[in-house]
Amino acid sequence: MELKEVKHLRKPLMVSKISDESFITLFMLGILVIVFAIASVIVPNFYTAQNMLNLVTNNWFVIILGIGVTFVLITGNYDMSVGGNIALTGVLSVYFCQGVNVSQNALANGLGLPYPVAIGLALLCAMGVGAVNAFFIAKLKVPSIIVTLGTMMLARGAAQVITQGAQRNTSLPDAFGVLGSLGIPGTSIRLAVLVMITLIIVAYIIEKKTVFARRIYLIGANPEAARLSGINVGKYLTALYILSGLLAGITGILLASEFKAGVSSRAMGYEFDALVIALLGGVSITGGFGSVLGMFVGAIILSVVTSAATGMLLSPDWQFTLKAIVTFLAILAQRFALDKRKS
Amino acid sequence: MSTVKTESLRLQLDRSANVRSIIKQFYIFVVLALIVLAFSVMKLDQGGMFERGHFLSPDSIINLLRSAVPILTLSGAFTLLMISGHIDLSVGSAMSLSAVVYAWMVLNGYSFLPAFVVTLIMGCGLGFLNGYLVTKLRITPVIATLVTLSAFKGLALLIVPDGLSAIKGGAGQVMPDWINYYARREVLLGLPWAFWVAVFVILLLTILQRKTILGKYAAAIGGNRLAAELSGINAVKMVWLLYIIVGFFAALAGLARASYMSLGDPLSGDNMELDCIIAVLLGGTAFSGGEGSVSKTVVGALIIICVTIGLMTVIPAYWQTVAKGSVLVTAVVLNHLLVQDKVKA
Repeated sequence: MELKEVKHLRKPLMVSKISDESFITLFMLGILVIVFAIASVIVPNFYTAQNMLNLVTNNWFVIILGIGVTFVLITGNYDMSVGGNIALTGVLSVYFCQGVNVSQNALANGLGLPYPVAIGLALLCAMGVGAVNAFFIAKLKVPSIIVTLGTMMLARGAAQVITQGAQRNTSLPDAFGVLGSLGIPGTSIRLAVLVMITLIIVAYIIEKKTVFARRIYLIGANPEAARLSGINVGKYLTALYILSGLLAGITGILLASEFKAGVSSRAMGYEFDALVIALLGGVSITGGFGSVLGMFVGAIILSVVTSAATGMLLSPDWQFTLKAIVTFLAILAQRFALDKRKS
Repeated sequence: MSTVKTESLRLQLDRSANVRSIIKQFYIFVVLALIVLAFSVMKLDQGGMFERGHFLSPDSIINLLRSAVPILTLSGAFTLLMISGHIDLSVGSAMSLSAVVYAWMVLNGYSFLPAFVVTLIMGCGLGFLNGYLVTKLRITPVIATLVTLSAFKGLALLIVPDGLSAIKGGAGQVMPDWINYYARREVLLGLPWAFWVAVFVILLLTILQRKTILGKYAAAIGGNRLAAELSGINAVKMVWLLYIIVGFFAALAGLARASYMSLGDPLSGDNMELDCIIAVLLGGTAFSGGEGSVSKTVVGALIIICVTIGLMTVIPAYWQTVAKGSVLVTAVVLNHLLVQDKVKA
């Protein structure tokens, strides 16, 4: 009798050959294929090699942000400060390397630092925003959604103060635009895209092969258990928020270099997009579950949907509604799929 | 010896707890007074106290209270929701959508009452949807309301015709004059209907929170949801009802904004959720729910409005975001120091 019960209990474990995580990633991959097929049929000129490449390359910034947001979300926390952080880092990287006293216009004068120093300092500031987030969340135990909304305002506000609510784009050194314009000639693959691919691979290896990542999953699944088993939860959260800040900083610098300008309104709403692609990729809202590869699949799904909408000549105002509907359906579909699998 | 020591230690702790609870009771009033004082001594060189152009001149106070109408209308209901341990990030978008719908109806020849009622019913519908996602589909409140934030904002943008930034009178149609009677025309003490409605709403919600089971149940659910459910409270129904109430007042705030500006701006409610969170946290409501007070949220709301309006007169507009962000972070820290302690003890 007892033996029977044990057998019964073990059965689901033996049946499932792949983990829930891989299952959801494959599930979303299936949805991606379906969405892509529908889009190819309905939208003219959608099924072309160039367009498929664009689906990946046009979204490098959200995907880079998504890496940090995914890891933070796995611990059960949010990072809504990434959009503001991009604007701040971009503006700072411009401000630091603009010439000193070159013009009457206050917006043309900067600190005159060499470009490498300027981006180094800007990245430090980006990590600083992450450290502030971490201080409030890990030390003061304030809910992450409220704190990161606050630092989002502070970061974007600081960018607005430095640019006086507009942008800085004059008296830049020649080196400034190099990073954003490098790329493989003849294709739409730019340096930023290569950075994104490298980061995805590194993140994937960290996620699958390191103790660090396994502990992050434990923290997300049960913070109290993680603490009791000797994991310094605060330290891990701090590391993740600083990482998320750093990734936002890299994005900000690349974007500023691409446009040769530090714009205070850059990256409005990117925090929402990063969260959406993580959710689309199956990262659990309550923590302890999700993967970077899933996030990547989610990003491509969102990209297919938005570019199909543009291809069908829908007004750009549709994007908010579309994103909401897609996210909502994805959450429901994933829950349904997981429930089916468990029962 | 040791007992005496522990006794005196306990007394000391008691005293510090007493001091803290007194500080907790009154600090927000002190903060409001200090902010008002700070803005009233500024610019004194350019004109006397209470004269035209001064922070405390009648014109300025009326203007301040008129711009405070949306947050006063909305933050009370938002407090009740946060006491129950839930959050609604979509209030700003719900406001924008209501403003757009109201302005559209007025522009298309509907009279005041139908437009007013339909907008409010739609607000309840928006709250109903939020409540459904959170209580029935059990999606985390933050995610569910972020999704509806995007959806409502998208709808508001879609209602506005292409090429226009808002619903307003144009070549073909003229916006009737009476649209701004509700939020601009003086009825009492130089203040419009919308303000007195907001005052009534605050009184109503204060009574609801203190004297009816709605407030008690909300606190019980926020304090310990499982215990509340075990003692027979229908938490699903209560939370759903609270979301509907918030949706209703978001619509009321939205149409006050539309009436004030005489147009339906699909971005007019942006960041309202942040203002509400600041007001609620300043008012001493605990993050995780369980305790809080509608009347103190009102003081918190007045603090935000004073800071926003007051700063506009002294520093350039591009400082706004930093100022608000700082107020939010300060509110978080103050809330942590004064409210969260009780949870640990």
